[in-house]
Amino acid sequence: MVNSNPVPPPTPDAGEAAIRAVGLVKRFGPVVAVDGMTFDLAPGRIYGLLGPNGSGKTTLIRLLTGMTRATEGTAHVLGVRMPDRANLARIGYMTQGDGVYPALTAGENAQFFGAAYGVEDAAQVDEALRLVELADRAKTIAGTLSGGQRRRLSLACALVHKPPVLFLDEPTVGVDPLLRVQFWGHFRQLADAGTTIVVSSHVMDEADRCDELLFVRAGKVIARGSGGQLRAEAGTDDLEAAFLRFSGETAVAA
Amino acid sequence: MSPRRVRALVRRVTVELRRDRPSLALLFIAPIVVTGLFTFILRDASGPNLRVAIASGGSGPAAALISGRLDGALTGAGMTVTQAASVDAARSAVQDGSASIAILLPADLAPGKGSTITLLTKGLDPSGDAGQLAAVSQAILGGIASSMGTALPSLAHQTVYGTPSSDPMAPFAPAIVAFFVYFFVYLLTGVSFLRERTGGTLERLMATPVTRGEVVTGYILGFGLFAMLQVAILLTWALVAIRVPAIGPLPDVAIGLGIAVAGSPLLAFLVVLLLALGAVSLGIFLSTFARTELQVIQFIPVVLVPQFLLSGVLFSVDSLPSVLQPLVHFMPLAYAVDALREIFIRGADLSVADVQLDIAVLAAVAVLFAAVAFRTIRRDVV
Repeated sequence: MVNSNPVPPPTPDAGEAAIRAVGLVKRFGPVVAVDGMTFDLAPGRIYGLLGPNGSGKTTLIRLLTGMTRATEGTAHVLGVRMPDRANLARIGYMTQGDGVYPALTAGENAQFFGAAYGVEDAAQVDEALRLVELADRAKTIAGTLSGGQRRRLSLACALVHKPPVLFLDEPTVGVDPLLRVQFWGHFRQLADAGTTIVVSSHVMDEADRCDELLFVRAGKVIARGSGGQLRAEAGTDDLEAAFLRFSGETAVAA
Repeated sequence: MSPRRVRALVRRVTVELRRDRPSLALLFIAPIVVTGLFTFILRDASGPNLRVAIASGGSGPAAALISGRLDGALTGAGMTVTQAASVDAARSAVQDGSASIAILLPADLAPGKGSTITLLTKGLDPSGDAGQLAAVSQAILGGIASSMGTALPSLAHQTVYGTPSSDPMAPFAPAIVAFFVYFFVYLLTGVSFLRERTGGTLERLMATPVTRGEVVTGYILGFGLFAMLQVAILLTWALVAIRVPAIGPLPDVAIGLGIAVAGSPLLAFLVVLLLALGAVSLGIFLSTFARTELQVIQFIPVVLVPQFLLSGVLFSVDSLPSVLQPLVHFMPLAYAVDALREIFIRGADLSVADVQLDIAVLAAVAVLFAAVAFRTIRRDVV
């Protein structure tokens, strides 16, 4: 059970995709942040959004979570067209910043975001903290946690309601290598349990931990596939080189 | 609106505030210190210590007689009088502060002759000078009248409300209480909500099923709770005076300002609380236009100082220039100050039309600001 909130049933036209984008465009004045993206993402897999800073990853995530309205096109999550407030109870969103309350304890933060998502069960809140290995820090004021601990708390707050869809915006930025390994362990564990995860990153060495990658450049998805497929297609062993190859090709094509 | 989510928001806001010691001090201790200081200054500054120097330009018998009469009249009025050797000596006495005012008698002074007596003050404090001039003129007139063998009629002052000799703080207390509550509640909410925006927690909150209305309601209830406590403490402090008897070398003191209140303190509480709720929403609203905490403070001269000047806190609304009069109607603080004065001084209750209007306007402003605050929490945050 994810939560006690009433959630509209999935509409049949969304098919089996957990996340569906059709012709998504987002303009900020003259700037086109997302320039016509269309894709389906299947449930229970980890998708990596890879691209340089400013390529439109965060805006795409904000469109998919309904935090901002699309200029054109549609976004569906679990069959529900976004933005939809009730559907947010089934979506977890870890923002780029930590977004936790520094004056509250780790436990109070998790409890508060749990309540915001409709989770009243204290055991479920504890479970989220245990998952990120912060159970022993529940009574520590968040402002006094280390940077890595705060990042983990931020993750706990995003999955306290056991969402079937989880968006993670640069979750491993500023995180040490050991913690990074732990994070990916959590993500895999959740995906195995059926959670669809979308991770944005500009670090290519994390890419192989994803089931599938979407190369994002200048607001467009320029390539899609597993790390192996993309390397093979680009004819290189190096994912970074593959990204550049795909970028160059589209630049020439355009 | 989900009561559970609102409850979670209220709990969060109150826990955060409870742990924020400097903010608690700002809410509960600062207003007490400031109002205490204000009262102390106002009450103890009431008796001006007049030191008069009299100098005569001439040396005839008329001058000596009048100078002697004046001395008697001024001393009789409780002033300290010295005779200066010359006009220049009197002038330098005022200059160096050994005299607060000098009376310069002309050389040609004689009864029945139109001559001018000059009153000399330092000129650095116009309102203080005016008080001295009034007291000294009164004494001079009395002295001259008695030198002519007549007596001036004595003047008696009565007031419709209260007594003329009553507390100089009485007309200020309601205004000062209202202003400081408004000021501190605005500041605290503005800064708190700004942290919510810049800390990324608002963005995160908007990614949950929590609605904007729930956020505003949570804030109003959470901060309203603290505002209620603040108002209760400040009003108690203003109205009560607990006498502490002398202990050993310590003299007896009074704790509290002991302002007399003619009407219901409970009604006064309601008025200030409505004002404070409006200040919560004002803080949320204005934090939209601020990027840093400093900018929230920069709004004070723009938003709060005009209200301070135009709401009858220091200057009576009736004495304002007519150009500014219409603006008074747009100052929420003016309605609170008016209602509190009615309650404190006139003893007005809810049956008085003025008080009804004030309360209705304050309630409407609180609702209006809440709606505006709601509008400013967009989904497109950042």
